[in-house]
Amino acid sequence: MGFLVTTLIFVVIGIIASLCTRICCNRGPSANLYVSPNFGYHCNNMLLDDVSACLSGILVLWAIVYLAQMNPLIVPILNEGE
Amino acid sequence: MGDARRGGCCPPMDLFRSEAMQLVQLIIPMESAHLTVSYLGELGLLQFKDLNSEKSPFQRTYAGQLKRCGEMARKLRFFKEQMLKAGVLPPDSATQVDTNIDDLEVKLAEHESELTEMNANGEKLQRSHNELVEYKLVLQKAGEFFQSAQSRAIEQQREYESQQQSGESMETPLLQDQELSTDSSKQVKLGFLAGLVPREKSMAFERILFRATRGNVFLRQSTVENPVTDPVSGEKIEKNVFLVFYAGERAKAKILKICEAFGANRYPFTEELGKQAQMIAEVSGRLSELKTTIDAGLLHRGNLLQTIGAQFNQWNLLVRKEKSIYHTLNMLSLDVTKKCLVAEGWSPVFATKQIQDALERAAFDSNSQVGAIFQVLHTRESPPTYFQTNKFTSSFQGIVDAYGVAKYQEANPAVYTIVTFPFLFAVMFGDWGHGICLLLATLYFILREKKLSSQKLGDIMEMTFGGRYVILMMSIFSIFTGLIYNEFFSVPFELFGPSAYACRDLSCRDATTEGLIKVRRTYPFGVDPVWHGSRSELPFLNSLKMKMSILLGVAQMNLGIVISFFNAKFFRNNLNVWFQFIPEIIFLNGLFGYLSLLIIVKWSTGSQADLYHIMIYMFLSPTDDLGENQLFPGQKTLQLVLLLLALVSVPWMLIPKPFLLKKQHEDRHRGESYAPLQSTEESLQVDSNHDSHGHEEFEFSEIFVHQLIHTIEFVLGAVSNTASYLRLWALSLAHSELSTVFYDKVLLLAWGYNNVIILVVGIIVFVFATVGVLLVMETLSAFLHALRLHWVEFQNKFYEGDGYKFYPYSFALLEDEDE
Repeated sequence: MGFLVTTLIFVVIGIIASLCTRICCNRGPSANLYVSPNFGYHCNNMLLDDVSACLSGILVLWAIVYLAQMNPLIVPILNEGE
Repeated sequence: MGDARRGGCCPPMDLFRSEAMQLVQLIIPMESAHLTVSYLGELGLLQFKDLNSEKSPFQRTYAGQLKRCGEMARKLRFFKEQMLKAGVLPPDSATQVDTNIDDLEVKLAEHESELTEMNANGEKLQRSHNELVEYKLVLQKAGEFFQSAQSRAIEQQREYESQQQSGESMETPLLQDQELSTDSSKQVKLGFLAGLVPREKSMAFERILFRATRGNVFLRQSTVENPVTDPVSGEKIEKNVFLVFYAGERAKAKILKICEAFGANRYPFTEELGKQAQMIAEVSGRLSELKTTIDAGLLHRGNLLQTIGAQFNQWNLLVRKEKSIYHTLNMLSLDVTKKCLVAEGWSPVFATKQIQDALERAAFDSNSQVGAIFQVLHTRESPPTYFQTNKFTSSFQGIVDAYGVAKYQEANPAVYTIVTFPFLFAVMFGDWGHGICLLLATLYFILREKKLSSQKLGDIMEMTFGGRYVILMMSIFSIFTGLIYNEFFSVPFELFGPSAYACRDLSCRDATTEGLIKVRRTYPFGVDPVWHGSRSELPFLNSLKMKMSILLGVAQMNLGIVISFFNAKFFRNNLNVWFQFIPEIIFLNGLFGYLSLLIIVKWSTGSQADLYHIMIYMFLSPTDDLGENQLFPGQKTLQLVLLLLALVSVPWMLIPKPFLLKKQHEDRHRGESYAPLQSTEESLQVDSNHDSHGHEEFEFSEIFVHQLIHTIEFVLGAVSNTASYLRLWALSLAHSELSTVFYDKVLLLAWGYNNVIILVVGIIVFVFATVGVLLVMETLSAFLHALRLHWVEFQNKFYEGDGYKFYPYSFALLEDEDE
């Protein structure tokens, strides 16, 4: 799995999650815990915002770690004992 | 109004802006005022303003009714106390009963007088019961004295008599008979007193008696085995029965006084044995009689308390509601005609319809001829901030509110906090084993939510329970970062394929000197497991996590500045966009955005360039050649441009804004002198507000100093805040090192001994260390650092937080308050 493939996976998960939130949210204000009673129709945007923030967060974290290991400047040197 | 003002660029978002509020005025006819307020309290969407703040509580219209409610509340408290004492628990189910408050008052008064009378009677009975018990004791003990004394006297007499009869000897005094006869004729009448004295005072009692009468008393004491209930105090005390013999009235008076001083209860007593037995029987009879009376009384009282307890909660609720209604009514001002009450208050715009409905219902239900009048007032006062949170978002909103309540309709950082807070926490707490432990703990709270929320918890439990959804998010994120860091209680797993590294050759000789070599593609997800325990683990992870902290920090600070752009757009403040947002974003990204770019380029190219060197010499000698530190062509030019931009953006932030503000102010003033006439009603409103809020003084120097401070704060803050994000690295390092130590030095060490006992001890120590240090203390410290990063580094980019919260008048809130 290369960098692009995993990124793509993350993006797909993101899209699916966003779609899910839209679908879940439209089921009605009482159906989920995230929606406050009066403003059910606004919540979509906030939820989407949070879902995308969340996914970009974990994507960034993964990407950082992946990138850092792509071209290693230092390599693992095993301990004497092992 | 609210929807029109929602900025065009960003879609309306729940929780991002606080609810649009309006100041409303209600004119309520006197006769329907009470019902109206009660309906509004049920609705709970209106915050009344105190229109009588200059009046003392006693001068207000409904002071009398409030006092009545206070009196009823006192009675209810009295009942509660009595019920607690009697062990009667009021049932929790609060079924609504339609009791009139006046009926309730009468009922409460009846119950109270009944209860107090019962208590008084009960007390009286109890007292006489205790007295009788003491009396019985005295009778028994003193009777024993007399009996033993008498039997001894009889013995002595018999002895004496036998002596007399046997020994008509020479030694017998001749005058004895005479003496005896004189004795009996002049016999001093010996009096005696019997009673009970507390045991700890008995020594002193004896001594004082002896001194006061110069030894002319004869005192006998005998201890009572079981503690006796004192009739006066009602407490259980250990006591002695005493019997004092004295001669003469003066001695008696003295003894009586001493008895009084020592709290010794005296009881009548007769010498004759027959009478004594009779009295004992009498006392016993009365005792059992009293006992049944007391029992019957207690039963009756218990029944009364039961009936009170069955309805206690409803009454309590009713009285509290009533009290709050009158309290609210006291905040309304009386109309000139004295026929109406005028209320002012804040309400969310969306609640207009509901409030009007409530008013109509109240007018209808109270058979009022005129309905209440509802109108929206225009004001320049800043409305309260109201976010509609639910149980999930409220704890995140709480995190933000703890720093400061958002200004009215200011962008709410809580929206982002929901994600970024647990995310930053997890960066510092990356271990999926620990994450699962946290998840299980918080799932317990969430699954038993209904049960736990109704019962009282301890301080710390309460806090954990309140933040259960925060902890849920934190644990989910820390499972993710744990997978990225590849740590399960500090142990790595090859979950996502084989390690990318292998020995250079088959013999693996230089694996401990030169190191391994990368043979495959990069480990697909997270940190390669081979790093764990290697000699180069720390240098690698430090460099990775340090850079990661900078990247995350710059990203979050940029987010903060972008939100300040949304704020400026929303409040139509173009000055802030052009002279604050743009230079800020240029400055931050010119320096630290560039650093982030360098980090990413360095990673993806595998260059050996020294980033410190590049950053330092970008300032010291920007024109110098970069040499081997060059990462991409044209870097020098880019650096020069960025440096110049950053330098330009400082005066850009500082100078134009105050001057433009001054110009705006002058323009406004010029316009004001020839303003078109407004419609009469509105102008009246505006005028009345104008006096207090209008002509704000424009102090140029003050504005300038303010801007200067802001600029300095931002410029220095850009550096120090970026450095502050390094705490992410430091804490995550500390966490992983600590868990490694616990795993290696406790669990593995104990395992190595091949001894079951040592292993068990090792496991216990490991579990306690993991729970105590890692799961509790590390969670706390990571939580606090994440909190700081949000409050200081993130929110100071855009958040003013000088608003005040919306506290609607609501019966639902009333119940929580009193608990």
